[in-house]
Amino acid sequence: MKISGIKYLANQGIENIWKNKMMAFATFCVLLISLLLVGCSVLFYINMNSMILGLGNQNEVAVYIEADTPQERVDEIGEQLKTMENISTVTYISKKEAYERMQNQILQGKEIFEYIDDYQFMPDGFSITVADNEKLRDTVDAITRIEDVQSADSSPQVAEFLRELRRVVTLIAGAAIIALAAVSMIMISNTTKASVFARREEIQIMKYVGATNTFIRTPFFVEGLVTGFFSGAGAYFITWAIYRSVYDILMAQGMLMNAFGAGSIVPFADIRLYCGLAYLLVGSLVGAFGSVVSTRKHLDV
Amino acid sequence: MVELQNVSVTYSGGVDALNNVSLKINDGDFAFVVGSSGAGKSTMIKLLLKEIDATSGNVIVNGYNLSKLKKRKIPEFRRTLGFVFQDFRLIPSMTVYENIAFVLRVLDAPLKYIRKRVPYVISLVGLHAKTNSYPDELSGGEKQRVAIARALVNDPQLIIADEPTGNIDPELSYEIVELLKGINDQGTTILMVTHEHDLVRHFGGRIINITNGEIVYDEIVTGTNSEILPEVELAQAMENAARPRHEYAMPVDTAEENTPYVDDVIAAIQGTVTQKGGADK
Ligand SMILES: Nc1ncnc2c1ncn2[C@@H]1O[C@H](COP(=O)(O)OP(=O)(O)O)[C@@H](O)[C@H]1O
Ligand SMILES: [Mg+2]
Repeated sequence: MKISGIKYLANQGIENIWKNKMMAFATFCVLLISLLLVGCSVLFYINMNSMILGLGNQNEVAVYIEADTPQERVDEIGEQLKTMENISTVTYISKKEAYERMQNQILQGKEIFEYIDDYQFMPDGFSITVADNEKLRDTVDAITRIEDVQSADSSPQVAEFLRELRRVVTLIAGAAIIALAAVSMIMISNTTKASVFARREEIQIMKYVGATNTFIRTPFFVEGLVTGFFSGAGAYFITWAIYRSVYDILMAQGMLMNAFGAGSIVPFADIRLYCGLAYLLVGSLVGAFGSVVSTRKHLDV
Repeated sequence: MVELQNVSVTYSGGVDALNNVSLKINDGDFAFVVGSSGAGKSTMIKLLLKEIDATSGNVIVNGYNLSKLKKRKIPEFRRTLGFVFQDFRLIPSMTVYENIAFVLRVLDAPLKYIRKRVPYVISLVGLHAKTNSYPDELSGGEKQRVAIARALVNDPQLIIADEPTGNIDPELSYEIVELLKGINDQGTTILMVTHEHDLVRHFGGRIINITNGEIVYDEIVTGTNSEILPEVELAQAMENAARPRHEYAMPVDTAEENTPYVDDVIAAIQGTVTQKGGADK
């Protein structure tokens, strides 16, 4: 095939978009909606995940040192903790602070503190946070093995709960995304089928004059590719607008939302590139192949 | 060249559309295929285009044995022939020019050739003024002339026409056949299906009658108007086609009713043989 021939077929594809404006627009819209549905679900999932991980990282481990350990040894342990794997922050907690914390943590039987008003009996300690909440248990174990460490308390229930939450969210989001993708494929396939069906006679005539299947399909491929590309671009800009406003609203809530891990919401700038590329790529490919696959039934003459 | 060897076609519903048909049409022939509705004429055309396959027997067209032709060879085979259908089959979204040029695009012909060849065939069928019109903007006769130009553009060995005059005014039918006759004079084999007896009688030539899936008549008959035909050069015929129709479109025997029955047609045709060279009324 000559260059002029390829150019001709590509041109035919572009021209067909204008010539079949209504069908092309329908395909564009269906693709756009599908991409948005799936894309937003994926983004929602990414953020839920990030928030849960963020909450997990706020889950502190309280490390208590044996009573009567000299201050030098306590400092040494502090340094050791800082070099350990999976530990992101280490904060020293004085006896007084530890006492106050204890008071806050014990909700029932607060009366006990009326009898104990001396914090000198409290051990020295550190509050640490971990980088990866999933590895919390290993990290806690490692800390406990350090000499002169009396105990390392994470709240394993919280970690466990978050892990479970993440699993459930992944499951639900995964199912939702797969379902949406499936529904989208059906919608897209029906639209491209209708679009091709409207031109079945054209395809048949082309077959009669001896056009090969590739010759007939190439314009359909180009047509789907271009339509899909624009759907991807449209989906990107809509997502960008929605994401920005939701992000701004959540950030404006400040402290309140932080408690729910909103601080871990991924800024759009961090995902802009992936988001854009994914939309354009998926849009173009689904458009192109949807259109080509739909011609198959009509090529058999 | 077209050859059918003991060809039978049975449709999935059990209809025997063709029954042990043998037929040979030589290069350069002009053959009319006549027969009443449902006789199997279109089935034969579909066979020749390899739209359907014979249930038994061999179909050989332009040197391709269609019973053995591989699927991916079909495009190559179809490029050796032109087709004209009753319903024109023009691509509505393409102009006259594009509809015709498309055939050459399929052949991957050089752009320079396309730009020369397409206007040429358009002028042959007398539609120069309609080059950039869309099919919707043309009359039935004009659409069929576009279809003929399209069939002609790649200079095929064979043109197959299934009721090409079926959807246009009877008087205009003569122009269409004259056009095809002119093309035939240039050496292209033409196979034309029709049930318009007046046309067949007027032009004469080889008449093949199919009835109930069988060939019941196959003779060369002199047309009532045949003496003027050999003189009609292609260009002349094309020019005629472009002229006001009444001049050339004179039915031979308007008094005689078109009966769909084969015997009548044959009788009529044979009648004209005896008064060979009979003058136009
Ligand atoms: N696709 C088909 N399936 C079943 N029967 C068919 C099909 N096409 C044609 N027939 C039958 O085959 C016979 C011949 O049809 P056809 O070749 O179209 O006749 P003609 O063109 O002479 O009018 C008819 O009885 C018709 O009903
Ligand atoms: Mg028919």
